[in-house]
Amino acid sequence: MHILAGLDSPTSGSVWIDGTEITGLDDKELTQLRRDKLGFVFQFFNLVPVLTAEENIVLPVRIAGRDVDQEWLDGLLETVGIRDRRTHRPSELSGGQQQRVAIARALMTRPAVVFADEPTGNLDSKSGADVLGLLRRSVDEWQQTVVMVTHDPRVAEFADRVVVLADGQIVHDGRVESADEVLQLMKAV
Amino acid sequence: MLSLSLRGLSARKLRSTLTALAIFFGVAMIAGTLMLTDTINNSFDDIFSSANARTDVTVKPKEAVEDSRGGEPPAFDAGLLETVQRTDGVAEAAGTIFDPTIAILDEHNKRIGPQGPPHFAASVVPAPFSPWTYPDGRPPRTPDEMAIDSITAKAESFRVGDRVRVAGPSGAKRYRVVGIGRFAEGVALGGASIVQFTLPEAQRLTDKQGKFDEIVVAADSGVAPEQLKQRLQSTLPPSVVVRTGEETAQAESQDIKDGFAFFSTALLAFGGVALLVGGFLIFNTFSITVAQRTQEFGMLRTLGASGRQVLATVLLEALLIGLIASLAGIAGGIGFVQLITTLFDALGFELPTSGLILTGKTVIVALIVGLFSTAVSSIMPALRATRVTPLEALRDPGLDRGAQSSRRRTVIATAVGGLGAFMIGFGLFATDNAGLAFQLMGPGLVLLFIGIAMLANRVIRPIASVVGWPMERLRGITGRLARENTLRNPSRTTTTAAALMIGLALITFVATFAAALSKSFDQAIDQSFAGDLILVNTDGFSRIPKGVARSVEQVPGVDAVSPVASGDARIAGVGKGTVTSIDPATVSRVAKLDWVNGSDATLGRLGPDGAVVESKWAKDNGIGVGDRVSMTTPTGKRATYTVKGTARDEPGIIVQTLAIPTNTFAKDFGIDGDDAVLVAFANATNFDAARARVDQILTREFPNVESRSQAELKQDTKEQINQLLILIYALLALSVFISLFGIVNTLILTIHERTREIGMLRAIGTSRVQVRRLIRYESVITAMIGAIIGAGVGLLLAIVAVTALKDEGFVLAIPYPLLVVMLMLAAVAGVAAAIAPARRASKINVMEALQYE
Repeated sequence: MHILAGLDSPTSGSVWIDGTEITGLDDKELTQLRRDKLGFVFQFFNLVPVLTAEENIVLPVRIAGRDVDQEWLDGLLETVGIRDRRTHRPSELSGGQQQRVAIARALMTRPAVVFADEPTGNLDSKSGADVLGLLRRSVDEWQQTVVMVTHDPRVAEFADRVVVLADGQIVHDGRVESADEVLQLMKAV
Repeated sequence: MLSLSLRGLSARKLRSTLTALAIFFGVAMIAGTLMLTDTINNSFDDIFSSANARTDVTVKPKEAVEDSRGGEPPAFDAGLLETVQRTDGVAEAAGTIFDPTIAILDEHNKRIGPQGPPHFAASVVPAPFSPWTYPDGRPPRTPDEMAIDSITAKAESFRVGDRVRVAGPSGAKRYRVVGIGRFAEGVALGGASIVQFTLPEAQRLTDKQGKFDEIVVAADSGVAPEQLKQRLQSTLPPSVVVRTGEETAQAESQDIKDGFAFFSTALLAFGGVALLVGGFLIFNTFSITVAQRTQEFGMLRTLGASGRQVLATVLLEALLIGLIASLAGIAGGIGFVQLITTLFDALGFELPTSGLILTGKTVIVALIVGLFSTAVSSIMPALRATRVTPLEALRDPGLDRGAQSSRRRTVIATAVGGLGAFMIGFGLFATDNAGLAFQLMGPGLVLLFIGIAMLANRVIRPIASVVGWPMERLRGITGRLARENTLRNPSRTTTTAAALMIGLALITFVATFAAALSKSFDQAIDQSFAGDLILVNTDGFSRIPKGVARSVEQVPGVDAVSPVASGDARIAGVGKGTVTSIDPATVSRVAKLDWVNGSDATLGRLGPDGAVVESKWAKDNGIGVGDRVSMTTPTGKRATYTVKGTARDEPGIIVQTLAIPTNTFAKDFGIDGDDAVLVAFANATNFDAARARVDQILTREFPNVESRSQAELKQDTKEQINQLLILIYALLALSVFISLFGIVNTLILTIHERTREIGMLRAIGTSRVQVRRLIRYESVITAMIGAIIGAGVGLLLAIVAVTALKDEGFVLAIPYPLLVVMLMLAAVAGVAAAIAPARRASKINVMEALQYE
């Protein structure tokens, strides 16, 4: 995923995002790319502790020096369900709430791809389900592309396309019907 | 545990180096000062013991009253030489002159060399006594010849055969250089120069005809110096002091050493400030690392390490840094000595520093001071480390847990700061004992600074908001993040800023105090001085010949000429006081006396033994008009004067303690010369033309006297103050420099702590430039917090000090331009401190930063 997100460079092959080849771009161009076309959701949320929930969400827009699309922001706050907690700081939010703020942050710039690295890894199952539901909705309602990395077959079940990697080899690429199927695929390695 | 400490050190090289540097500079200053003092003292011992090497006994005038200006006691009658020569056991005796009131002039009739160190007139002493050798030429033999010391000759490129003009109390004269002499092994004399003349010429030039400054005596073989000393003591009058050659060398050397003692105390104080700042840095660095290593300590505890072992790990690491820094500091002291001597050489005061002396005492003091300050500043963080529970090993390390700002902390801070403030206040207001006052105020200041540093975390939020506002306006989220980051852990930011605060508070204090001093002087001139010109010695402190007043009186356009002089006396029942000599007939035309009892007419009724007394002094000592004041004068004479009037003169321009008529002063005090001559022009006179006529006379007859107008006098004072200020600023700049290391250290540690957060910011599109900007802003905000608090504290201290000195005529003057410049420089310093940390932050590898532990 690091290679896909332009954080690491491949020894061979190339990466294309939204019609742009990103392999060989310099740091400045990659920064610009991340700003405009990518969104990130991390296992440990990685919110800025000194900013409020809303400030965290608009952070990428602010960093890019653009104006905030207020309508889009209001919609996001509504969707992720933290409208009434927008002025709270991360330390005053539960893990699930923090991760929902992180998802809103990733969606704020309407990126081409959202990369989610073990987004439920640090959450209880209820909060994890909320988060996955949210990501699913962004795909269904806004046609958002989401690339997610996980070890958990039940998480993988939410995806439209599952790529199973084992020791650096792709062992499966395609639709899956259930968590059990993923589990079988993984066991088969 | 030692190996763990060592590993800790080498694993964090940059931080350890910066921490060690903080201690290094303070120790280097202290070790350097001790070395310099030892070296200078030793050199002066050498100079005086070689100058007195061939003398068994000396006879000198006794100092009846110690002269506060460090002047020589009046010379004694040359007739005593005969008495000495007739004394049993004296093989040979000779009278000599050694007088510090001459001036060697350059071709423009200006005094050569720097202001301050004296030029001495020395008489040729018969061969057995002479401390002189002549690498070039010979001693003077006629009244038109002179020899000059080799150091001055080299500095001014004087050669045998040159013609040099020298001015003395009896006027100026041109001499032919016939010899370049090495005086006392040719050691540098701290900028002083010595000119040698024949005895009669030396007496004539210094206006000491028929007098000697000293009689040097050689004993018959078989007569011990001590024995001869006792014999001479019984035959000579009590107005002279008889000492053996060795005692003389010691006494003369001690005088100079005492003069330097103030200088070394001042340097040690600046070293102390540097160490205090270094202490803050160590405290802060260790506080942060202990917080960051919570997990490690917790892990050690789960493995069975005792609290004491954890304490030992942290303390050992600190003490190792302290030890390395102190040892390096001792070596660095040599560099500090070089720096100071170079600085003084450049100003013309060549310090005698042949063969730098490093004593065991210096090494021990430096080690103790270095280790002690490290231990004191790391003990609190080390104790905090012992309170880490094993459970904390399991917690998420990424959390930035701010130190709790408890009520207890506030109470302690207030107590510490309050005690400091009390000690300063007591020293300023409640005691007349200057020594005790300084002993209280030094530690008081340290406590006050610590108290303020502890309390300041309550005020940094508003300061950060104000300072951060333009950044936020300009750079939006980056500015906002920077401001919030500095407020994340208020105590950490406060301690970092506090180190800078100390240096800047002292700079503000000194600047404000100096401005007040300068303004007070200006006001005193305006209030007391009614004349047009004041004539003073070009060296700035020696007396000028009586003839000046007489000659200038004749100049067309001059309306009034009034000489003033002063001398110290021991006043019966009171103690030391300074007596001024005034000319009752003319003083009211050149000076404004602020009469409390009496009027200018009182001057006319003064008579030969009347006195005008300073009103505050009179009140303090219960003295009123009609009372009689008795005193011992510098000649040892007992004199009594009747108080005829009192006048207010707080800065002591005209009436210092009391003023008596000129003729009486000359008779009772044996001081033949004036401190200054005040001149007033007639009403319709053109100032420039009249002044030109006065200057012409001075150049021709009294080249070591110059005229200063009121404006120039004020300007001179300002320049003198400024020169001193530059030296003080330079020494305080080092402390400021050390505190910048503190900012660097804190930033690096904070960045380390926030690696993952910075990685995330980069991942969501923050550019390297923006990351650097973020760190830079944090640095600037921290620096500005330090600068603003520092300026505030410094101003407050200055206001208190000026208030305490109100009675001495001090008026507050706030140097606004300097304060503005200082704040701007603090911002620049913040930018500079951020360079390395910002680069480090911008180079954080996003992928690695985002990986889990």
